[in-house]
Amino acid sequence: MIFSSKLKWLLVTAAAAGSAAHAQAPGTAAATVVAVPPFSTPNDTRTSSGSTLSIAWDASKLIAQDLRTTSEIMPLPPAQKDFYSYPEVTAPSFPKWRAAGAKVLVMGFVQARSDKRVTFGCYVYDVDKGREVSRAGFVVDPSDWQRAAHKCSGQAYTAVTGAPGIFDTRIAYVAESGAGTAKVERIAFMDSDGTNHQYLTAGDTMVLTPRISPKATRIAYVSYAGGRPQVRLLDLASGAQRPLLTSDAISFAPRFSPDGGRIVFAMMNGANSDIYVASAQGGLPQRLTTAPAIDVDPSFSPDGTKVVFESDRSGSQQLYVMNADGSSQRRISFGAGRYAAPEWSPDGNWIAFTRRDAGARRIGIMKADGTEERLLTNGPTDEGASWAASSRELVFQRSDATGNSRLFRVSLDGSEPRNIVIPQNGSDPDWSGVTD
Amino acid sequence: MRPALLLFAIALVAGSASAQLPGLRKRDSQPVLQGIDAARADFLAKSGADTVYFGLDSAVLGAPARATLAAQAQWIRMHPDVLVRIEGHGEPNDTRDHALAMGARRAQEVRDYMVLLGVPAMQLSVTSLGKERPGAPRAVTVLVR
Repeated sequence: MIFSSKLKWLLVTAAAAGSAAHAQAPGTAAATVVAVPPFSTPNDTRTSSGSTLSIAWDASKLIAQDLRTTSEIMPLPPAQKDFYSYPEVTAPSFPKWRAAGAKVLVMGFVQARSDKRVTFGCYVYDVDKGREVSRAGFVVDPSDWQRAAHKCSGQAYTAVTGAPGIFDTRIAYVAESGAGTAKVERIAFMDSDGTNHQYLTAGDTMVLTPRISPKATRIAYVSYAGGRPQVRLLDLASGAQRPLLTSDAISFAPRFSPDGGRIVFAMMNGANSDIYVASAQGGLPQRLTTAPAIDVDPSFSPDGTKVVFESDRSGSQQLYVMNADGSSQRRISFGAGRYAAPEWSPDGNWIAFTRRDAGARRIGIMKADGTEERLLTNGPTDEGASWAASSRELVFQRSDATGNSRLFRVSLDGSEPRNIVIPQNGSDPDWSGVTD
Repeated sequence: MRPALLLFAIALVAGSASAQLPGLRKRDSQPVLQGIDAARADFLAKSGADTVYFGLDSAVLGAPARATLAAQAQWIRMHPDVLVRIEGHGEPNDTRDHALAMGARRAQEVRDYMVLLGVPAMQLSVTSLGKERPGAPRAVTVLVR
């Protein structure tokens, strides 16, 4: 399994200057130009994954590629004939990059160590002000250079947006093949750029809604293995699975608490669906809602003190917020249409939802108090939004006319949703936070 | 608008079905319906339908549904060796988890009505397919347990 050889990150230095160089408000469409010249190596050395010079070249290409996937950044990719010496990494020529139109500059180096690992240095500069914004160093196995490069991309992204980088993150989803009664569904797991794709369940039973734990070590999902939908937990390192609850009740729509210790979910009690919370280790669940209605799709606030959920207690599906112990339940959505499947953003400011009206399902966001609602997609079959760690982007599913479901990502800045390339059809995406 | 539906899957209890094991039988070697297949055909013939329908976003049993369920309940009461699986469905246009809950709620309403009509609860089990596997209304899934 993917995390069995857990990376050993060694933070050499991290002198991040407090504020972002060009803090950009969400909703502004102008992309910031970020120059990514070829990374340097003080001494070209052979490693188990190629020479340090070739790793440096590939890393700068990957960083430019990472940044191009965002709508906030326009990268100036590395040019093959460009060359920068090791000293230039820490003392760049700012006028040159000003002339090239760059606002932010990413430089770095790859250096071989005597223990067969490499030191990966990453430096982000504010070109206008001519000063360093942040620097970080990682000591990694040469084969892990991509993760170091993703971390460096995240540093540049943070310098531009002030938000956490999303390049070293994972996406879980339900991979679908076949159709009708012959449909096969498997939990799939991959890096957010589509690499390291793998299947976590065998496809012998129906599965729904995988949710990644905060440290990306476990996945909670719904399985029909017992003949009826029930929440199960899967450990990524060992592959071991077990039901969350000992009862045989129908349980579904799981999500982890921000500390990973608890799981909030929906459970049927007779004809009534209510919100419950249980320890991720097992044990008796605690009931949080009691309305004789369908209460479903709970999601914790990032500080763990509140839960947003969906309920049709008013007659149609609407969004509600309550304290994590079930007290102070109050409705926050009041617009036309039905509001469903809320998820609280990692920065705590927004709640993403699926809005259903007049035959269309669309993805939207609103502030946690219900204000500033706006729709981000046109539908008509969009569903199941999950936040990126940056709180500036969402992943969701969209079906075409023939019922084939694909994954898309959409930015809060109003740009068009973009397709995420996966091997088969996919639904129920969940985007992890930043992992170490 | 096509409303949601409920399916019935029938399974003989293990003891009486042990001689048949339909899942292991070759298709062409069995021209005459026996065991579970025969029970399913008889159930359908006597009760008229294996499916009852609900209104949009509703789990309330209408008069036609009650009539069908009454006939089904009578048949099930007369066949105490049969286990019945009640599968609820939601709206295909709904969001995933609300559809799952709506399917479970509909299935539970049917189960409760059956119990009200005197069907022993231990003969009945409830599940929801939500909006998964839509378009499988003719399915009478056999479970040998």
